[in-house]
Amino acid sequence: MTRRLAAIFVLVLMLAACGGGGESVEGEGLESEATGASEAAEGAGEPAPAGTLVAAIGSQPDQLDPHATTAYPSFQVLENVYDTLVVPNGETLEMEPSLATEWETSEDELTWTFTLRDDVTFHDGSAFDSADVVYSYNRIIDEELSNAYRFGTVEQISAPDETTVEITLTEPTPNLLANIGAFKGMAILPENAADDLNLETEANGTGPFQLDSVEPDAIELSAFEDYWGDPAPTVDGVQFRFISEQTTALTELQTGNVHWTDNIPPQQIEDLTNADDVTLESVPSVDYWYMTANFEVEPFDDPQVREALSYAIDREAITEATHFGAATATQTAIPQDSFWYTDYAPYEYDPERAQQLLDEAGVENVSMGLMVTDEFPESVTAAEVISSQLAEVGIEVEIQQETFATWLDRQGQGDYDAFMLGWLGNLDPFDFYHAQHTCEGGSNFQNYCNEETDQLLQDAANETDQDERKRLYDEAVTNIVDDNSYIYLYNPDVVQAWVPELSGYTARPDRAINFETVELSG
Amino acid sequence: MGGYVARRLLQAIGVLVGVSVVVFAIIHLVPGDPVRLALGTRFDQGTYDALRERAGLNQPLLVQYFNWAGSALTGDLGVSFRSGRPVTGLILERLPATLSLAGGAIVVALAIAIPFGIISAIRQGSVLDYAATAFSQAGISIPDFWMGILFILFFALRLDVLPPSGYVSILESPWQWFTHLIMPAVTVGVVSGSIITRFVRSSMLEALGEDFTRTARSKGLRERLVVRRHVLRNALIPVITITGLQLAYLLSGLIVVEQVFAWPGLGLLALDAVQARDFPVLQGAVLLFALFFLLVNLLVDLLYAFLDPRIRY
Repeated sequence: MTRRLAAIFVLVLMLAACGGGGESVEGEGLESEATGASEAAEGAGEPAPAGTLVAAIGSQPDQLDPHATTAYPSFQVLENVYDTLVVPNGETLEMEPSLATEWETSEDELTWTFTLRDDVTFHDGSAFDSADVVYSYNRIIDEELSNAYRFGTVEQISAPDETTVEITLTEPTPNLLANIGAFKGMAILPENAADDLNLETEANGTGPFQLDSVEPDAIELSAFEDYWGDPAPTVDGVQFRFISEQTTALTELQTGNVHWTDNIPPQQIEDLTNADDVTLESVPSVDYWYMTANFEVEPFDDPQVREALSYAIDREAITEATHFGAATATQTAIPQDSFWYTDYAPYEYDPERAQQLLDEAGVENVSMGLMVTDEFPESVTAAEVISSQLAEVGIEVEIQQETFATWLDRQGQGDYDAFMLGWLGNLDPFDFYHAQHTCEGGSNFQNYCNEETDQLLQDAANETDQDERKRLYDEAVTNIVDDNSYIYLYNPDVVQAWVPELSGYTARPDRAINFETVELSG
Repeated sequence: MGGYVARRLLQAIGVLVGVSVVVFAIIHLVPGDPVRLALGTRFDQGTYDALRERAGLNQPLLVQYFNWAGSALTGDLGVSFRSGRPVTGLILERLPATLSLAGGAIVVALAIAIPFGIISAIRQGSVLDYAATAFSQAGISIPDFWMGILFILFFALRLDVLPPSGYVSILESPWQWFTHLIMPAVTVGVVSGSIITRFVRSSMLEALGEDFTRTARSKGLRERLVVRRHVLRNALIPVITITGLQLAYLLSGLIVVEQVFAWPGLGLLALDAVQARDFPVLQGAVLLFALFFLLVNLLVDLLYAFLDPRIRY
């Protein structure tokens, strides 16, 4: 027994000695300082070969089936792997040719005919043709996948020949291009891909990069040699690493282990703008954040009370608190740079006017539960600012911070006074306004119903004359703002940073991350 | 001994069944609909119904439980709602990172706790004792994410001697594995080590005051031998208990440290599963954590018998 005890004691001492060794390693590291940087550069996750772009994104993609996922991190990866028939231009976001070279609409606006490229191959070497388009779109529709709503007006999709696809509609759909091209959720998969592959972890697209490996801490892509686009990618591949802590992501960038990230601490944006070792780009996005109150809860059914809320909120202060300047305060959804921007901003920050409106409405001691979610920390920050601003006009705000799961449950059940959230990645005005503000809209959780607005939105959805469509939306938006269906707060910027060795990349307003044309030097 | 281990393992199965029932009940009672989460804010009734059906969520709870438990018996923990991937695979691919971090951290913890604990006990009231106590107090109170970020800023950004974050498999490159492990293991190890230090100190102090220690001294044994053979040996039992608990805790995933160091361990998997209400993954993870606790406890009990001949099973 004594011997056993001694053995255990020795074991404990050995463990202690090992630990001691661990501490002395810092010394060893110092000795090899000259090689330390290159070692560290390889050390990020699986060592990435030279010529591979390393990008740090904020979280792990939930899965890689483009038709099934709704998570942004998934699309950051998929953007580089799959193609769509049309794509948004990187600056104007207008739809441009991609797998389709041209398209025309019939006179009754109910048939769209797309001509496809004939020089495209999938990553497995098989040729791309119209059957793949028909298969992909029908998969989304038949299986009622998350983007099925984008085909709401589609009656049939057919392929008269190998390079032609015809989409037949039940009613004119001016935003069809945005519906099928806004993002890689509408990707073209090869026919029967869902049966041939585990699309959650495997991919076979036509994009500039092909999927090599999926690990719990990184996804690796390699350049696709037979890519149809011109020029072909110059980097050998892309490694996406998942780094949720912003300080860590930034340190990885500053030490050169990572070449690109969009996970930047907002309070450091200003410093980084002037930094030599980092290139930072900030462009206005198409996202918007808003607050709304429940039309079925008193006193928020009273137009004057809603108007008071809108006057009592200092949008600039909220924007500053949440984004340190990297956002633009707004009173409508669509940002200024867009053709669809509605120039209407009737609410100046005016607590006195708000107080007066509340008095006229005859309400006092208003208390309002404001539901926010820790899934989006900026909504929590904004709620604190909103709470103190509304306190000035005598509205007592109780901030209700929920997990997103609970938040969505309560939203769906109408169990709230007010909530704050954002809509991300919208392109067409239909995406910005329709489901949110039509009486029966699927995303109209605030229960807004103004028959005139409803009619304007329905008309705009089918109006194929662009200027007339714009006029209809302008009118609808004016109503939405006057009725305070949503109280619009701000459009955040897209903020991304990369090392100076990386060139040929631009941040896009729709947050699509495309590494097709980047170059790495040094 | 063999019979004892067999009995304990049988009990463990009972406990695991109990845990699975409780976990299943709790996560289905917590508000939050995984299908609504999967759809995000864009709601469409048709898509919602289709997804629910595909996930098997429209079946009665009891049926869902027995379906799950039945396949769990064969090692198949079901398919994640969120990723559509088998839960067993999701857990297994993250297990090496968690084992590395837990192992590394417990080594660091013992390397701190045993010398510090012994010194502050035998030099009770000295400057060394106060220093060790202050260190362990600091280790317990300093938030680990803050300490981790400081380490990254100092050793990776300022000195550039260690990689800031990430994990490399030991099979791929043992050296890379080691350099990536240092900062997270020290961050976690300091906290665990601080806790264990206090147990080493107090149980050493207790043993120092025992009759057998006085006897050992009075028979003229050198102090060094008294401490090593009589005091420490007797003081180890509570230390092993707390070390085992710490190890089981470390194995259950370290959400914050995993986040700071982009470490692909089980903690983040479990956290994501909670947030996405990904029931199959969460059930699988909790079951595994329960198994860790059971196994570590069994190991600790067996160690008692080695350490103290009076303990027999």
